Amino acid sequence: MTVQRDVVVKKLADIKAVGNEEGLIPAFNVLVNNLPAAFWNTFTVRMMEAAPAERKQEMEDALMHCANVCGYNTGYGIITSKEFQDVVTPMVTEGAKDVLRGAYAVFTAWGWAKSGIAQIKEGERMVVRAMDYYEADMKPGYMMGFMVRGVSAAFFDLAYGEPYPNGGNTFRCEQVKGMEVGDPFGEFVVTRTDSPS
Amino acid sequence: MSLQIDLTFDDTTYRHYTNGFLTVMHCHHYMTLATRLAEQFSDLGGERILAESAEDALRPLLDDYIQKHGISDPDERLKIGQEYYAAIGMGKMAASGDSHSGSVTLTHSHIDQGWVMKWGERPTPMNYWTQGYIAAMFGAAFDKPPRSFAVEERESLVSGAPHSTFLVTAK
Repeated sequence: MTVQRDVVVKKLADIKAVGNEEGLIPAFNVLVNNLPAAFWNTFTVRMMEAAPAERKQEMEDALMHCANVCGYNTGYGIITSKEFQDVVTPMVTEGAKDVLRGAYAVFTAWGWAKSGIAQIKEGERMVVRAMDYYEADMKPGYMMGFMVRGVSAAFFDLAYGEPYPNGGNTFRCEQVKGMEVGDPFGEFVVTRTDSPS
Repeated sequence: MSLQIDLTFDDTTYRHYTNGFLTVMHCHHYMTLATRLAEQFSDLGGERILAESAEDALRPLLDDYIQKHGISDPDERLKIGQEYYAAIGMGKMAASGDSHSGSVTLTHSHIDQGWVMKWGERPTPMNYWTQGYIAAMFGAAFDKPPRSFAVEERESLVSGAPHSTFLVTAK
């Protein structure tokens, strides 16, 4: 047996994210918020539009960095959480590869992207395919899966980089296809930062 | 009345909805990093973009709820806004005011507490997201179009104050 994404998603999707008496949602060792996807997309597109041509790359990198740090910290909280241990760990039979599959199942269950690993060369390269992701809802004329990119690099780091919290920045992720630019799915390729791009 | 929250999950697209609006869970790392990013690009209007994005994206949720539940009293509308803020995990808020001015206090804040957890206290306020939310909430309460209210954060949990305070003024 290996991690079956749809089984994990259905079990984890029942978790109700609603603020407690303090208006906060503490979970997975972080504070969670549950905001309209429109907010994140609007912010991303407006920031990109505000950047002049010579600063677009700087803005892209900064947007991706937000997701990378989020994915690294929250990803670690996820894979060490009781929920993950209860639901995913019993299906783990292929070590780090299966933990990654489980992380993408949670990624999917949280509503970030209906995604999974299409190809993997352990510790070296991973191709992630997303059949539906909220960042594709805006059509700005360029690929804008910055969140999926940042989190994918972070997840691969958690699986194959230095042990948390000493890893990070071991891997980078590029988007090569995007539903927001007319492709049938989004495709994201993770490679080592010290490999030729 | 108390806010009613209906959370649904589409098991075809695997998307979540809150009272019919597509929502997504994120963490304080992402939100505080987005806030810091806005400040990093201050010369491009980052803080304003963050606040206005919050105002524009949250206003439809508030308007929709108010309309569907037939809520006409501005104080009730402000109360719904406070309860929505808490339900989506952004903190605990108390608001009062009229169509000309108002004030809001936060005793708990996802963004301020998240910032302190991540980087510690800082001397200046930075809760631009909540400024935008408050503008949306007052706009919805008093039937005003977007950008009708200026919101200024006067003191802040992130600076060690016992609560955050925002002043609201009609433009």
